[in-house]
Amino acid sequence: MGPEMPPSSYENGSLAVPLTVRSSAKACRIEEEVLELFDEFRNPLLRYGLSLGLSIHDAEEVIQEAFLALFRHLRLGRARKNLRGWLFRVTHNLVLKQRLANQTSLRRTACDASAAEEHADPAPSPEEQMSAAQRRYRLQAVVQALPEHDQHCLRLRAEGLRYREIAAVLGMSLGAVSISLTRSLARLVRADGR
Amino acid sequence: MLHKNRHLSMRHISDEELVRSADGELSPQRAAEVEAHLEACWNCRARMEEMQTTITEFVHAHHAEFDRRLPPVAGPRALLRARLSELGSEPRTEWWKRVFQFGFSLPRVAIVCLSLIAMTIGILWSRHASQRELGPAYGLFDAEAVPNRSLTPGATRQVTMTEVCSVPEEEVIGDVTVSLRQRVFKEYGIANARPEDYEIDYLIAPRLGGTEDIRNLWPEPYRARMWNARVKDDLEQRLHEMVCRGQLDLSTAQHDIATDWIAAYKKYFHTTKPLPLSSHFDPIRHNELRWS
Repeated sequence: MGPEMPPSSYENGSLAVPLTVRSSAKACRIEEEVLELFDEFRNPLLRYGLSLGLSIHDAEEVIQEAFLALFRHLRLGRARKNLRGWLFRVTHNLVLKQRLANQTSLRRTACDASAAEEHADPAPSPEEQMSAAQRRYRLQAVVQALPEHDQHCLRLRAEGLRYREIAAVLGMSLGAVSISLTRSLARLVRADGR
Repeated sequence: MLHKNRHLSMRHISDEELVRSADGELSPQRAAEVEAHLEACWNCRARMEEMQTTITEFVHAHHAEFDRRLPPVAGPRALLRARLSELGSEPRTEWWKRVFQFGFSLPRVAIVCLSLIAMTIGILWSRHASQRELGPAYGLFDAEAVPNRSLTPGATRQVTMTEVCSVPEEEVIGDVTVSLRQRVFKEYGIANARPEDYEIDYLIAPRLGGTEDIRNLWPEPYRARMWNARVKDDLEQRLHEMVCRGQLDLSTAQHDIATDWIAAYKKYFHTTKPLPLSSHFDPIRHNELRWS
């Protein structure tokens, strides 16, 4: 006969499971869920953070904060509806806060030095001389010249957000989103005219 | 109806409707009308195709602009996992356990009673002093700068210092529902409040552990001449900084702001009147809390 074991807390059914164990199991489940969402949305969120002018380091940190916030949000049992929209909204707010802290310029051109280096070379490389690349650079220039709010709408739409989600992230009406996108696309179409 | 639809389908489609159609954001009925028009109209179909091409190129440009700068996901993922594990292992003590874990004894009860009496006297005295000091400038809005203690005594939730000091502010601010706002105005007997006059504010700020409970909400006037919502925002910021730097106990901060935030402002800013408003304007907070 083996050594006597203390009675297991699990023997009497789920009600007997200690609160700490149940809480820990719940935290583990949520942790896995958050990591899955991280796999899915990290790159879109990072692109969005970069497009708002953050350095790669700051953008990565903001994304980490957003997902930690998501963990706390889920652990408190709060709404799970449209977590993609929720993540973009929190990221957007954190990015604005970070920019304020960094006292960076609101303009996209005030991006970090590495980004500046990447885009500073005006001389087209052989690859850039191709018409597709030229059109791409022209589009990028037009986007960067758009009002910041229009850029946000366009970037969020490019990341797949629906109008209702964009409206929630940016705190604007559905109609305003629609008008902003139309205005931006009209400019892009004109710039893209071949 | 048929005639109307035929009429609609003959008019060219506006740019906005073309965009919304491409994005699937039209009502089913209008989407069908637009589709019918596109079948019949080469002009609009050409515009639509031109726009679709531009969208495709923009998406490619958007990715090309940033994708090469994205580091591999493995490192950040591992970092996040470690942070989540740390966060998940933090104990979450129930508030009632913390209250009762010290037990009761006669000397402790006596100390608590004496403290309460001292606090009550202090509150009454400071209120009397602040009202006397404000004098004739204490107008309609100034009179509402301090909430009615019986209606708004303040309410807190269970928080850890980690949460207080690391959770982004916009995360801890819950949405105050329209119905709750209306209840607050009704409770204070304010009819037809205008958005520019009041902010439904937390007495104890969420970042200090306050909660979106009607006992912690009151209509704070923007137009108060001295002690208005923006001055209180500065106090909340100061208390939060002091708490997170370990210079002030969280419960003391909660108590002081709930008891008399104007007295607390004077105490922690060492002044008798509001200082020039902080230059650190935080649009996020104001977007979140502004009554609209």
